[in-house]
Amino acid sequence: MPKLIIDPQQRNLLLNGRELYAYRDLFLILAYRDLRVRYAQTFLGILWAFIQPLFTLLIFTLVFGRAMQVDTEGVPYPVFAACGMSAWSYFAFVMNQAGNSIIGAQGMIQKIYFPRLIIPLSKALVGFVDFAISFLFILVLAIWYGVTPSANIVFLPVFILMGVISALAAGIWLSALTIRYRDFQHIVPFMVQIGLYATPIAYPASLIPERFQLLFHLNPMAGVVEGFRWSILGTQAPHPYAYLSFGLAIILFGTGLLYFRKVESVMADIV
Amino acid sequence: MSDVAIKVENLSKLYQIGTSRSGSLRESLADKWNTLTGKKAQATQDFWALQDVSFGIKKGEAVGIIGKNGAGKSTLLKILSRITEPTRGRIEIDGRVASLLEVGTGFHPELSGRENVFLNGTILGMTRREIKARFDEIVDFSGVEKFIDTPVKYYSSGMYVRLAFAVAAHLEPEILIIDEVLAVGDAEFQKKCLGKMNEVAGQGRTVLFVSHDMQAVSKLVTHCIYLEHGKVFEKGEKNFVINKYLSAINKSKDNLVYVDSETSGKPKIRKVRINTSKPNNFQVSSSPMSIEVELSIPHRITKTCLTLRIKDNRGVACLDFSFFDTDFVCSSPGIYTLICKFPKLKLYMGKYSIDAFLAEPPGGEFFQTLENICPFEVLMFELSRGDWEWQPYNTVYLEEYDWDVKTAVFSSQE
Repeated sequence: MPKLIIDPQQRNLLLNGRELYAYRDLFLILAYRDLRVRYAQTFLGILWAFIQPLFTLLIFTLVFGRAMQVDTEGVPYPVFAACGMSAWSYFAFVMNQAGNSIIGAQGMIQKIYFPRLIIPLSKALVGFVDFAISFLFILVLAIWYGVTPSANIVFLPVFILMGVISALAAGIWLSALTIRYRDFQHIVPFMVQIGLYATPIAYPASLIPERFQLLFHLNPMAGVVEGFRWSILGTQAPHPYAYLSFGLAIILFGTGLLYFRKVESVMADIV
Repeated sequence: MSDVAIKVENLSKLYQIGTSRSGSLRESLADKWNTLTGKKAQATQDFWALQDVSFGIKKGEAVGIIGKNGAGKSTLLKILSRITEPTRGRIEIDGRVASLLEVGTGFHPELSGRENVFLNGTILGMTRREIKARFDEIVDFSGVEKFIDTPVKYYSSGMYVRLAFAVAAHLEPEILIIDEVLAVGDAEFQKKCLGKMNEVAGQGRTVLFVSHDMQAVSKLVTHCIYLEHGKVFEKGEKNFVINKYLSAINKSKDNLVYVDSETSGKPKIRKVRINTSKPNNFQVSSSPMSIEVELSIPHRITKTCLTLRIKDNRGVACLDFSFFDTDFVCSSPGIYTLICKFPKLKLYMGKYSIDAFLAEPPGGEFFQTLENICPFEVLMFELSRGDWEWQPYNTVYLEEYDWDVKTAVFSSQE
């Protein structure tokens, strides 16, 4: 084993991949703990994971599907909305959980060393449980309405990966920011609320006038949600600006890692 | 490969008091604005928790870090455990480190004992496979096998600590960093823990132990580093450093000697002082000790009766001894100093204080009662009894004794 050297003059801001890999068991067990504890002592237990998206879907169908008659290119509205929601709910969950994760783990951080990044990262894994549930929704609805998936579905993994990167980018930035400025604890719920309508979940992106498309795609999730729908349902392909969305997500992810490393060194000192 | 496990050079750690770095966004922006416009930012106070600390620890050495509260022990521990970063300086660590600043880090009340063993073990740096391999041993050591699948929120605090310590005890690092808070739990379990730590130290692994309990330190380590105000005050062989520490530690305490200089018309105790074998009211068990009592007798009394009682910190009276002035040497007006000498004080380790009573014989006047004066501590320092080392609260008193062993041989016909 190489010598460990601690020297504030020679700090390395780059990601230490080997160390993260060495702590992979911790990553897994923290995710496991979250899952086990999440619905402990609740009467309905895991059912809650179904009830919440179900109601959002119901409201969307009533408001956007029935009342506003949004153009879904012939796809039954519930399937259309469920596709958008699966990607978004994963993002919102991971951003929220990861954002608050460092504050929530203060007790641990002040008592023992491990790469702090493990904490927000493990939330990305936890989010997949909700993601799987929302995928189940899509499946059931698709069968019910007799919708067949498009051939584009082979590209779905790419968009899932982009979703994970976007969610982690936001989550890592927020977790590091929250520990320095508690204000962000109050900002995140706003972001989730606004994002739910600013992202093409309940409506297609084509509804936005062309001159606002650039602004619209500054939201990293805009491209992901469009891509999701395109790959599953074969609806309109993502707007060219979607590449901007993806590019932004990757930049945010990279800078988030750097900022996190910077804050990491003082995390235990901030109470 | 070198034989140095930890090398620390010019280590310093600065904390800023006055502003919290986890402020609100508004404060932070206001600060930035103030710096930009040249206005003075909010007053902060610099506090150097550690200053230019340098030392080296060889492989296989057990080292104690001692010092008063606020001397920088915990900061040093946190830096060596990589929980926080130093402001300046350099550290080289050669070997796998496990640091125990508390037991049961990450324990979740909703999870079962089994799950928590895996969770806590992983947090401490073990892999799943390592924990699996040692799982039975861990459960066995903890003594909670019956409840291993029960959520730990139903555990008694004792069971909780046992399980948590059991995980920690089965770490196999090359360098172990331990905080004294680990000395928890009931006496029997403490014995087990200290035994385990001894075992670790005995296996040629490097141990760093932070404490202000000199008893525990002198039992576990071979060398000491004495920190004061963030600097290394002394380092070296343990008895040498501990002696330095003991002569400095109680210096500032003013209640070590009882003094009452006011004059009054009544007979009274003016001063009580203990002459302990180490400075500042530290006494090594079975060494000489004396107690000096100064009496002021302003008028003739029938007879001076002085009783002293030594109590331990649980309030149990351990020794009671008196001076009755049968020869009337100090019953007429005057100031007298009485010295009671113990050639070998046989009190066991622990903390003690004195009660004093001054009176005339029964039927006469009762002048004075003093309680809990002159606190002192008895240590088993530099005394060893071999295989089973001294443990706190085994007894309050030691007597000299000899064993006779008579041998008989089994007769094979029986």
